[in-house]
Formats: sequence, C-alpha cells, structure tokens
Amino acid sequence: MEILKCEGIRKVYGSGENCVTALDRIDLSVDKGEFVAIVGASGSGKSTLLHILGSVDQPTEGKVVVEGTDISTMNRTQSAIFRRRKVGLVYQFYNLIPTLTIRKNILMPLSLDKRKPNQEYFEQVVNTLGIADKLDFLPSQLSGGQQQRAAIARSLIYRPALLLADEPTGNLDQKNSKEIIDMLKLSNRNLNQTILLITHDEKIALEADRIVTIEDGRIISDRKRG
Amino acid sequence: MWKDYSVSFIKKNRASSISIMVAAFISALFLSLLCSLFFNFWNYDVEQIVLEEGGWQGRITGEIDEDDLAMIQNFANVESASVNEELSEESEIVVDVYFQDTRTIYRDMPLITEKLGLDADAASYHELLLSRYLIHDPQDAKPPLLMAFYLVILIIMSLALVLIIHNSFAVTMNARIHQFGIFSSVGATPGQICTCLMQEAAVLCAAPILVGSIIGIALSFGVIQAINLLAADVAGRHEAVFQYHPLIFVVTILVSVLTVFISAWLPARKLSRLTPLEAIRNTGELQLKKKKHSRILSLLFGIEGELAGNALKAQKKALRTSTLSLTLSFLGFTVMLCFFTLSGISTNHTYFERYQDAWDVMVTVKNTGIENIEQAEEINQLHGVKSSVAYQKAETVCAIPETDISDEVNALGGLGTVAGSSVTLAEGSYLIKAPIVIMDDAGFKEYCEQIGITSEGDGSIVLNRIWDSVNSNFRYKEYVPFIKEEPDAILLQNAGQGENPVELPVFGFTQEAPVLREEYANYALVQFIPLSMWEKISGQIGNPEADTYIRVLAEDGITLTELNALEKDIVQVIGREYTVESENRIQEKVSDENMQKGAMWILGAFCVLLAVIGIANVFSNTLGFLRQRKREFAQYMSVGMTPEGMRKMFCIEALVIAGRPLLITLPLTVLSVGFMITASYLNPMEFLTKLPIVPIVIFILAIFGFVSLAYYIGGKRMLNCNMVDALRNDSVG
Repeated sequence: MEILKCEGIRKVYGSGENCVTALDRIDLSVDKGEFVAIVGASGSGKSTLLHILGSVDQPTEGKVVVEGTDISTMNRTQSAIFRRRKVGLVYQFYNLIPTLTIRKNILMPLSLDKRKPNQEYFEQVVNTLGIADKLDFLPSQLSGGQQQRAAIARSLIYRPALLLADEPTGNLDQKNSKEIIDMLKLSNRNLNQTILLITHDEKIALEADRIVTIEDGRIISDRKRG
Repeated sequence: MWKDYSVSFIKKNRASSISIMVAAFISALFLSLLCSLFFNFWNYDVEQIVLEEGGWQGRITGEIDEDDLAMIQNFANVESASVNEELSEESEIVVDVYFQDTRTIYRDMPLITEKLGLDADAASYHELLLSRYLIHDPQDAKPPLLMAFYLVILIIMSLALVLIIHNSFAVTMNARIHQFGIFSSVGATPGQICTCLMQEAAVLCAAPILVGSIIGIALSFGVIQAINLLAADVAGRHEAVFQYHPLIFVVTILVSVLTVFISAWLPARKLSRLTPLEAIRNTGELQLKKKKHSRILSLLFGIEGELAGNALKAQKKALRTSTLSLTLSFLGFTVMLCFFTLSGISTNHTYFERYQDAWDVMVTVKNTGIENIEQAEEINQLHGVKSSVAYQKAETVCAIPETDISDEVNALGGLGTVAGSSVTLAEGSYLIKAPIVIMDDAGFKEYCEQIGITSEGDGSIVLNRIWDSVNSNFRYKEYVPFIKEEPDAILLQNAGQGENPVELPVFGFTQEAPVLREEYANYALVQFIPLSMWEKISGQIGNPEADTYIRVLAEDGITLTELNALEKDIVQVIGREYTVESENRIQEKVSDENMQKGAMWILGAFCVLLAVIGIANVFSNTLGFLRQRKREFAQYMSVGMTPEGMRKMFCIEALVIAGRPLLITLPLTVLSVGFMITASYLNPMEFLTKLPIVPIVIFILAIFGFVSLAYYIGGKRMLNCNMVDALRNDSVG
C-alpha cells in the first residue's frame, strides 16, 4: 500500500544569480512498512527532501501526498498538526527540549494535541528503546546515544505514518550507532513503521530494504535489496 | 506540557524573567502615574472652571416667570434649574440649568427654549466646562480639544512604552528560537507557540503590573502634594486635593495590560511565524547581515575593537532601546538643565533684578476702584512699612502730531521704524496707546518730588520714553525720548472712539517711572495722574481696569518671616472690606525657585526613568547574552584570544553603548542651547559661567558606571563558562 508519493518536486533557494536548485523534479513512492535509506554526498539535497517530506519545508513545485493527503499545499497550522500526527522526525543533534524531562519530551506530540498517552504503548516504546529508567532525567543528564533513543521514542509516540531520520547516527560512536539502527529496524519490523533514513554512510544504508541515491538534487538510482 | 516548559524556563532564566518583570513594572508605574496625574489635572481644571465661572451647564436668558421656571425644572432630563440672581435683571432673567445626562444638552436646550417661546440664542452653554467632559457642540467646527489632547498623549505614551519594553520580551523569546523550532518540528502550531509565550508574559507581568499601578498612584499623590507645596504661594491658585476613582484604576490596568500584551505579542508573533527549519537552524549566535568594518574602533583598539564593533552591529536591534532611551535621557537632562539655567538668568534680568526695589508686598484689591480705597494711611502706619501707594490702570489713546515726535526717534528712522505696526499714522498724527496710571494723591506727590516736578493744580506726568528697538534688544533695553517736551496738554480719548477727547494738562515730562511693579508697553506714552485728577475726567474717558493695586515698600533688610507677617497685617487691614490677593517679593522669589526646582525634579525624574529603561535594557542584554555569545567567545578563545582580550572587548562595548548617546547628545545640546541663547538675547559668556557642568558630569558618570557594571557582571559570567562545551555543535544543550 502506497503511503508516500512525491511528484515532480523542485526546491529552489534564492533568486536571479543566487538561485540554487536543491531538488530537481523528484518522483518517489514509498509503501507502508518500507525501510528506505536515502543516500548522497553532502549538499546533494537529501536533507531538503526529508524536510519537504516532513512538512518542515515547502516545495517550490510539485506534490507530496502522504496517506492520500497533499501536504504541499497546507498552511502553517495544518502542517504543524500533520507533523504532530503523521510524521516522526529524528535529527542528528537529538533536538530535545533541555528544560523538560525525557518523559515530557517523548510525550510532547501528544501533549500538543492535549491527548493522554496509551500507557501500554508508551511502555512498549521506552522499554524497546531501553530508556525506561531514564524518563525523569533531563536531556543533559543522558549520554548522546540515550538522547537519540529518547528522540526516536518521541518520533514514534504518535504512531506516525512516516518516521524520517536525518543522519540519526551522525553524532554517535560506532556502538551507539549500531544500537540506534537496530532500534529503527526493530520498530520497522515490530510496529510495521515506515522509515526514511537519510545517511551518507553506505554501511548504514545497507541495513535498509531499499536504497535511493540522490546527486545534485536528482534521484540517480533506486534499488531494492534482497 | 507548556506549563512545565514555561515554569522550567522562568526558573532557569531568572535574569531575563526579571528584565521582563522590571519592564512591565516600569510601564505600569509610568502609565498609572500618567493616568492618575491626568485625572487629577482634569479634576483640578474642572474645579478651577467651576470656581471661576460656576458649575452651570446650560443657561437660558429671557423673560422667564415662575411657570416657565417650573416648566424648565420639569423637563425630563433637567436635574435642577435656578435663577441666577447675580446676572438677572428685571427684564431679563438668567436661569442656570443642570442636566441629568449632560451628553444631550445640545439637543435638549433648544427644545426647552422652543417650549418657552424664546429664540434659540436665548440658550447658552458652559462650553469650557462641557468640553472637559468631551461634550462639544455638534455645530462647532473647532471644539476645544484639551481632553482629546490628553487622550492622544496617553496613547502616544503607551506606544512609546510598547517600543521600549517589547525588546525585553524579544530578548528572552529570541533566546529560545531553536527550542521553538523543535516544538514546531514535532507539531506545535504557530498559535500554540504564540499562546505559550503570551501565557508566560501574563504570568510574569501580572504582579509587576499590579504593584507598578499602585506605586504609580502613590507617586502621583506625592507629585500633587509636591505641587501644592511648591505652588502654595501662587496668587489666585486653589489647593489641589488628590483624588482617585476606581475607574481610573481599571483604565490604568487595562492600558498597562494592553501595552504589555502588545509588547509581548510583537516578538511572539514574529517568532511563531518562523518556519521550523529557520527556527531549528538558529543557534542563537549573533549574525551580521552585511559585511561591516568598524574602522574607528579597529584603529583605536585593534582586532578587539573590530570584533566589539561587529558584535555591537549584530546586536543593533536588541540595543536599540538602550541607545534610544539613553540618548533621550542624556539629551533631555542636559537640555533641561541648560534651559533652566538660561531661564533663571533671564528671570533674574527681566524680573528680580528689575523689580528688586520696586515692591515688597503687592495687594490686588479685586473689583474695586481706587477711589474706594481708604485704608492707605492705615497701611502706612503698620510696623515695617516704609511707603505705600495705591494705583489703578486705565486704557486710553492719544493722537500725537508727526511734528511732535522727538528728534531722537526721527534720527532712528521715524516712529514707524522704531514702533512698527504698534502705532498708526493718520492725517499727520500718530495714534498712540496712552495708558493712564492713577495714583493716590500722596503717592503721586511723592513721585513728583522724586523726579523734581512741582504738582500744583491738576495735570499729569508723562513718561516720555520709547524703547530704541533699533539699537538695543528687549533683554537689555535702551530708551530715547518719545516726543518733544513741548506740549502743555495731551488730548486723550477712549480707544476706538474719536469723540469727546479730554485735554489733560501736563505737569512735566520724565524718563523715570515711579517705583511700581509695572512693565509698561514698549511703544506707549504712559501718563501718571493723581486720583483727584482722575475723579474729574473719569466721567468722560478711560476704561479703568477692574482691580486696584497697592504697592508696599518695607523697611530695608526685612526678612522673609517679617515680610510674611507684614503681608498678613496688610491683608487684614484691606481684606476686611474687599476681596484681595497678596504677594510678597521674597516669598515669590522663594516660590519661584521652588517651582523651578520642582519642575527640574519632575523632568529630571523623567530623564532618570528613561535612563533606567536604557540601563535595564543593557542589563537584560548582557545578562541574556550568555547563551547567545558563549559560542562566539569560545571561537575567539579557540584561535588564541586571552581572557584579557575578552575583557577588553567588553570594555569597548560598554564604552560605545554609554558613549554613543553622549556623542549624539553633545552637538544637539550645543545647537539647542545656542538657539535658546540667540532667541533670548542673553550673553553667552553669562551662560557659560553658570553652565550646570557638575550635575551633567554626575549623570554621565552614573550612566557609564551602570553600563560598565552590567558588562562586568555579564562578562564575569561569560568568562566562568566552560568554553569547550560551547564549541560542540549542540545548540540545544
């Protein structure tokens, strides 16, 4: 079942002489439960694509449809609600609110919707990610790997349609990187979570079911593994 | 979650929270003071109008009998109506009408006059009083707008405060752009972010607004008391009683809340409109939009100067409030001090020096002709009185043939050149103002003896002088003879009437005026006549002023206490029969000095308040820039800048922040003072010897001191930070 469809996405920054085309007519389709790795060199446009898919940024041209909804025409408030409910974002630098506990950081998307968490699912997520005993700590009291797990937990708490991870292991050592990728695979397998992972590390990309390669804002290869 | 987030942020960022609270407190204090003072000034104004002109609202004049009066009283909106005995005559009755709802007065009065069968112009309105309640004649194209003016001032003040305090909110909100980016990326809507910030502002500002409003009321009470104290001796002034109305408190709170709301909403809205991408990428570092080069600072202080200059340029927006408030306070303070110094010099020249020996006690006998004053001898007998004279003034004009104008005036180019439009030439004669000063007989005789003129029979003494406006300015006047000292008599007539002139015999001409506290018109031919002469001509000529004055000179070396006692004695003598107002010279000088001091304190306090706002802004910036500039300084350190170099940067920034307003102010002050000196024709050297240099230097040093203190505290905290952490690219931590 197709969960994400991009048609002719263009993203242009600046104007006139300073005009830079970050994405040039990207067409992409992702099915539910797929684990897709998007790879490319620095400046190839992969982060821009992820921001557009996550409704953090708007395309200059083209259409992005997630679960049948065109998100490229949404206003700010609609985009925010969409992000809250349909997208989980994981960044390289965790982006946790430093003044809130890990529990509150994880529950943030639900709190924004004034919804109570499903306790069973919450416990399942934090136990799977191994941070059940860190819930009352502040982010600064945790290691980088633990903070990233908290960020993944936050991205999963709303059972989003898409989990978008932008170089989630970029700031971690090898051991922690492997653990984070294992967590993502686990959530993909156990929760049938659709994941789009951005990385420039070929080895990490090989863990995904499908690898999409971007160069100069264009998809130059799209291959399924195994 | 928002509550936890805000509470946690407030707790962990006390400095920025305090800066917001201080901003809210200052704005509430200021607005409360303003509203309360306006209310009291308005009240005082209304009281003054009622005292002087009565509290009637509408007035009907005409043939009105008892039935008509009853009809007026029974008119639906009329609260009461009564006959004004003082103004009523037999044929024309004047009825003062008071309404329940005054707003409909301009509709109701014509209806009443119509019912009475009177013309529409039988109705008149107390326009001045009504205008104080914002009630204007709908037909009047130019109604009095004093109240509207008050309201406009209040709105302007609120807007000025919004401009000033919104920066405190912006500083603390901008420090969290990255965090709001995170919120946004996980789905917080712009509305939720804005609401969170506004709720935070509400929590922080509720108590300061309340406390500020209450202290503002207390301050306005103090101001009213101070005004009463300083102006206690101003003749004709009634004491102001501090008043307050709950509605004013409601208005104050509403205006304060609105001011704080807009101040918080402006940056909150801006912040909530950032895209998550823009916000999340914001590391809070100071950025320059364009390449800048701080040439002067670089030249004076080397690389630290250039870096400090760039940092200041990057903080330009955040420091705008400081620059503006400090510049205005510097400018206001220096110009105010210079203005009061100049005003003091000017008052000394034009008043105290000129009238130093002209009077000690002045009594104004209200609505009484000089012929009725019989207590002159009794006053002269009082202990401490050296001499006294009663006098009244009257307006007349005289026609002087062109040929009688003095040679000195003709040498200056003629009367037209000297007096301009103050005199008119018709049929070979100049029509000139000829005010008459009627002196009691004893006083007139004394004057004649003083100038060596014999005063046998009836006649006048002519003050034969005119201001030589060609060769002297009004500050240092020189006089020349007005007319040739030939005529034995001068023909006087009432202004505007050419008929029935009176021939007034002239005893003599003089250039020396009697010792009276009077300033005579520049181009008038003043006549001094005794009361006995006035009694003969007053039937034919002269529009005497309503009041009579008694000038009393006291014994030499009299003290303020003695003069106050003497003034009291004189008032007791004359006030038995008449309504009087009295002043004494020493007390007036003391009161004048107190008034000046009071005005200086009030304006000075305003300047200090502006300076406090500026300094508070500097504090909020320097205490808030820890997070913002940690990385910047870590980068400098990583390339080898020493802590001394960083201290040098702080010193340069403090110097520029405090010094820039000074540099802007000095030329402006010099220009405005130059203009004031030129306009007032004062000798610049005289001003320079009295230049208020000490208070200005103290003010400047205080501002430099506070800005340095802010940078010392901010800088010390910065130097104590772990710079290595700051270099890691984790802007969340």
